[in-house]
Amino acid sequence: MRHSAPRRYAAAVLALAPALALTACAGDDGTAAADGPVTLTYGIWDKNQEPAMRQIADAFTETHPDVTVEIELTPFADYWTKLRTAVSGGTGPDVFWMNGPNIQAYASNGALEPLADLDTSGYPQGLVDLYTVDGTVYGAPKDFDTIGVWYNKDLFDAAGVEYPADDWTWDDYVETAERLTDPDKGVWGSAAALNDQQNYYDTIAQAGAEVISSDGTTTGYGTPEALTGLEFWTDQIAAGLSPTQEQMTDTSPETLFTSGKVAMYWSGSWSAVAYDSNEAVAESVDVAPLPAGPEGNQSVIHGVGNVVNAGGEHKDVAAQFAAFASSEEAATIQAEAGAVIPAYTGTQQAWVDAMPQYHLDVFIDALETAVPYPASRNTSAWTSVQDEVLTQVWSGNLEPAEGNAQLGEQVQAALDAEQE
Amino acid sequence: MSEALREALTDTASARPAATAATRPATRTAPRTAPAATTPRRRQPWVVHALLAAGAVVMVFPFAWQLLTAFKTFQASVQVPPSILPDPWVFTNFGEVFASMPFGSMFLNSVLLTVLRTAGQVVLCTMAGYAFARLSFPGRNVIFVAFLSVLMVPTQLYLLPQYEIVQALGWLDSLPGLVMPGIFSAFGTFLMRQFFMSLPAELEEAARLDGANPWQAFSRVMVPLARPGIVALTVFTVLWSWNDLLWPLVVTTSPEKMPLSVGLAQMVGLHGTDFPVLMAGALLATLPMLVTFMVLQRQFIQGIAFTGSKG
Repeated sequence: MRHSAPRRYAAAVLALAPALALTACAGDDGTAAADGPVTLTYGIWDKNQEPAMRQIADAFTETHPDVTVEIELTPFADYWTKLRTAVSGGTGPDVFWMNGPNIQAYASNGALEPLADLDTSGYPQGLVDLYTVDGTVYGAPKDFDTIGVWYNKDLFDAAGVEYPADDWTWDDYVETAERLTDPDKGVWGSAAALNDQQNYYDTIAQAGAEVISSDGTTTGYGTPEALTGLEFWTDQIAAGLSPTQEQMTDTSPETLFTSGKVAMYWSGSWSAVAYDSNEAVAESVDVAPLPAGPEGNQSVIHGVGNVVNAGGEHKDVAAQFAAFASSEEAATIQAEAGAVIPAYTGTQQAWVDAMPQYHLDVFIDALETAVPYPASRNTSAWTSVQDEVLTQVWSGNLEPAEGNAQLGEQVQAALDAEQE
Repeated sequence: MSEALREALTDTASARPAATAATRPATRTAPRTAPAATTPRRRQPWVVHALLAAGAVVMVFPFAWQLLTAFKTFQASVQVPPSILPDPWVFTNFGEVFASMPFGSMFLNSVLLTVLRTAGQVVLCTMAGYAFARLSFPGRNVIFVAFLSVLMVPTQLYLLPQYEIVQALGWLDSLPGLVMPGIFSAFGTFLMRQFFMSLPAELEEAARLDGANPWQAFSRVMVPLARPGIVALTVFTVLWSWNDLLWPLVVTTSPEKMPLSVGLAQMVGLHGTDFPVLMAGALLATLPMLVTFMVLQRQFIQGIAFTGSKG
């Protein structure tokens, strides 16, 4: 069990001695024997995926009868606060979910155990790269998400517009949005949401720039290509094809989309299960590939990885479980649950088939040209700058060109600081 | 009974209303100004009532929205434009709450957390506040300033050290780990010290002259006089403990050890939240506080008026 006996902090114990005496009777809650059965804890952040994770944990216990896995669910908003506290304190779950923005910080601080025995051949290279830090693999890719254009078929039908073609371009997209926009009915053709992964990271890549270079040292902000990628969105707001930033702050763009006020909404593969279970849109939406910009129709790919806590007590078993939770068998369980696309190559078809009314192969096909999710050693240092500047650009207080130039300087400064 | 103590006790009787009255300047001034504004301004109460009613509507609206959302379907809860009344009314959301989390044990944890923390604060902060106000010992002011400086430190800053101490004690994911860091507070000590300072010293001196030791003077004379302050402290601690999220979230890992606040936070999904179920859970979690408020309404208002803030 994780209740370790008092070892360090003798001073703290002394200081609390009266308090100890007060509750001495409550301190002992029957810890199990240390030998024999092993209990692993598995930290996750998504309630919707809890049932599938439970199934995977049970499947692991079937082949390892002396190991039980407890699932520790923490909502995403507080997940990183709790994880940082627990891991710094030398505890924390044995195996836990990791994401792109945080992997480098945790790995380079020695908080994660390298997964030396992991066979990475079964996963898309972009995901393996995401969880490889300085040549060492720290995470077993669990799932992935790519971006597509979700659209409301009813609004297309009502406006007499044909559904998007697979090889459409930015110009086609804007033209479609123009035809769908109907101020009298309060309908917008598009939603230029201030979302990084879902919107401007993709269009910046499509315009031919890298938000952050793959080695994490330089930014593409400040280049004309990045500006093109940003203006794709700000032009839509200026032309009235999208709600304003103010309106999208009042009501989330996704709510506007599921309420039939926005006809096209860029979102990830994770939306499939949400739309499928929402009666209002289950049958009336579908998904199309991203439109192609000057350099193609790249989507950003991101995925969760299973990582092992370097401070855990049973690191060998934990590494086995992390590998299992990303294995073909676990991937199949996830695929059938439908919440996310499993990362293991060849298991994605079950996910596509789980919701046959949507063209979900769009998200799998996106793998071919997908670009990695921008991340560096201290990702939040420059994303906070990015959020601050782009909020002003989106709300019209700052010219896109000026915002892009500011980002070029400030994001680069943040990256340079990481290298020192 | 000696002359001095008898005098002190008579003073106690008269000091009590004086102390309470001094804490409620608002209620005292109101009747005083009322007679001045006599007949020509008779319509004024209606204006006041209208303003108060408008304020009440604003305050009640979030609760009403929570109540109504708890009976909506998910689809109705997120539709634009929003609908005020549920259509259709669904009653399954409450069942969902019980199905998705161990509500009973979480409720019990919340109650234990609140009761134990409050009991601890009332006992410890009252004693410490009295010591700082009335006993003279070397370094008293230095220690008190050190205490006050704790009030300036944001909670997030001592989250990690506090976690490491609780971990070293083996209290992670247990009731003591939840309760102990909250059984004492710099704020409560400060509050009680200020209250004891405001009580007349003669009462205590009289008791001491009659041979009461410091403990007797504290427990028999001062504590009964400090009742309004203790009520205020209780109100604050109950509200703060019941709503506390950050610490319980960090220290508990298994659902059976979590209080309701953490259980509710867990219902928020990454890409979608079932708002009606969340609101049903929140409603169930608010009810005990609501009932407590209605029963102890007078004390609540006294407590708030005494400190001039509502936490």
